[in-house]
Amino acid sequence: MVADSSLVQEYSIKRWDFTKAGEASCEIKNTLKQIGVSQDVIRRVAIAAYEAEMNVVMYARRGKIRCEIDTTIIKITIEDEGPGIEDINLAMQEGFSTATPEMREMGFGAGMGLPNIKRNSDVFEITSVVGRGTKLKMIFNL
Amino acid sequence: MQKQRHSIRFIEEKCIGCVTCVRACPTKAIRVVNGKAHVNHDRCIDCGECFRLCPHDAISSETTSYADLEQFDCTIALPSPVLYSQFSYDVMPNQILLALKEIGFDYVFDEAWDCELTTDALQEYLDTTEGPFPKISITCPVVVRLITMLYPNLVKNLVKLEIPRESAAKKFRQKAVKSREISPEKIGVIHITPCPAKMISINHPVGLEKSNLDGAIAISDIYGRLLEALKGLEEDVILQLSSGIGIAWAITGGEIMGIHQENCLAVSGVQDVIRVLNDVEAGKLNDIVFLECLICPDGCIGGSLTVQNRHQARRKVRRLIKMFGEHTRVSREMVLRLYRGGYFNQQKEISPNPLPPLDPDPGKAIQKLKQRDEILKNLPGKNCSACGAPDCRTLAEDVVLGQSSIDDCVFLTLDKLKEKA
Repeated sequence: MVADSSLVQEYSIKRWDFTKAGEASCEIKNTLKQIGVSQDVIRRVAIAAYEAEMNVVMYARRGKIRCEIDTTIIKITIEDEGPGIEDINLAMQEGFSTATPEMREMGFGAGMGLPNIKRNSDVFEITSVVGRGTKLKMIFNL
Repeated sequence: MQKQRHSIRFIEEKCIGCVTCVRACPTKAIRVVNGKAHVNHDRCIDCGECFRLCPHDAISSETTSYADLEQFDCTIALPSPVLYSQFSYDVMPNQILLALKEIGFDYVFDEAWDCELTTDALQEYLDTTEGPFPKISITCPVVVRLITMLYPNLVKNLVKLEIPRESAAKKFRQKAVKSREISPEKIGVIHITPCPAKMISINHPVGLEKSNLDGAIAISDIYGRLLEALKGLEEDVILQLSSGIGIAWAITGGEIMGIHQENCLAVSGVQDVIRVLNDVEAGKLNDIVFLECLICPDGCIGGSLTVQNRHQARRKVRRLIKMFGEHTRVSREMVLRLYRGGYFNQQKEISPNPLPPLDPDPGKAIQKLKQRDEILKNLPGKNCSACGAPDCRTLAEDVVLGQSSIDDCVFLTLDKLKEKA
């Protein structure tokens, strides 16, 4: 699906690294600006990638964001090693959140995460194994 | 004469190519080429960081000079509230306004009063406007340029009200035309400014067709004259109308001080502004109603054309706020009448002006980014700027764009020399 001519960028994310949190999604956004992707797509990618990145920072041990861009699509996969999600259907519900009070203090965990990512992407896939980790895939059509 | 696009000038004779400015520039607009700093005007937002930091006095800023006032039959001074913070602890705003008259302005008006009017108008705007939120302040012309250039998605968040110095200039010119019976173009309405960016917002306004101001004089340029005028000044007239609410506009958090909404946020300093705009773009600040962003550290008192250090200035502003109170002297009904009558309306929509991509063809732009990443792998990553670019990544980009050579990297060149030896 992603051609050889595509641009691939990878970033690693660590748990509770709040000082760097959001940097990877910001890098992705800046890359899209340099390519001249439409403002609407940039806006949606910025929001979705940030939410996904923060999920890893808050819940997983470590993770990787891989961003592949060609002239037709942007594909972002985020794979983490972490607790996994027990009930994906529940996690996909608007307003559902397992954020701790500390996370809420920082302004996270309004239960916007996964549904917000889905809403902003054109294709959204999620798989998770409890005790192993979660994998998200989102695609944005150009 | 064509009006200058930017207020910053590089003085070639003085520049030694030290890269201080290159590294300070938040939009990576400056390179040192053949030992001299050059600015890419398309990327410059007039923040003044380079001007502020140049250790060799090789950067100047262009504002209206005192001598320029002679071309007008009648002059009106509109001092930024920052001016009140620049004198010793006991010198009061009214004395400063009178000193401005003393040094030759025909009329002097308290711009802080118009800030106070705008605070109330802003309250009404926030109460009645629709999203997207947060609404972002347009007071700082550098922030507006930063957003139109690097955050085009956020242009629709910009507040659609006229800024106080512009609405004031319009009002007072009309007043002077009536009372003096002279034509509007013979009147010079001059802002007394803490930063060079105001000059650009006058020469190249973004929220209106033509600025209502005729120029901006640097606080530092008339400070000496004002000190002289303050000696033995007779205080016979009251020119100050503002309370602490208007004066507060000189510091960060000043615009929101008179706003009743709780969900307001004030940010200052170029790096912090960039950080918070990234947060807005990531959807992180959706619960904030109003965002005040000022590019200079601590707000306008941190402007590069001020004379007092900004910590002292902040102390003075705090004192004035205490003295003149946090209760607005503006009548709410009057503001609402003006508001509904369109007095605060922005004249022209601000439009995005994004930086061009690396290539107009997205496929080619992607290839260029891949080449950049390849080049970057071979660079040392020390970000020493000795090549004249701010960091290795920017050098790699310049190489891809054909504007620089990889041989400009001193570390790679050293390695090559060692191999030969």
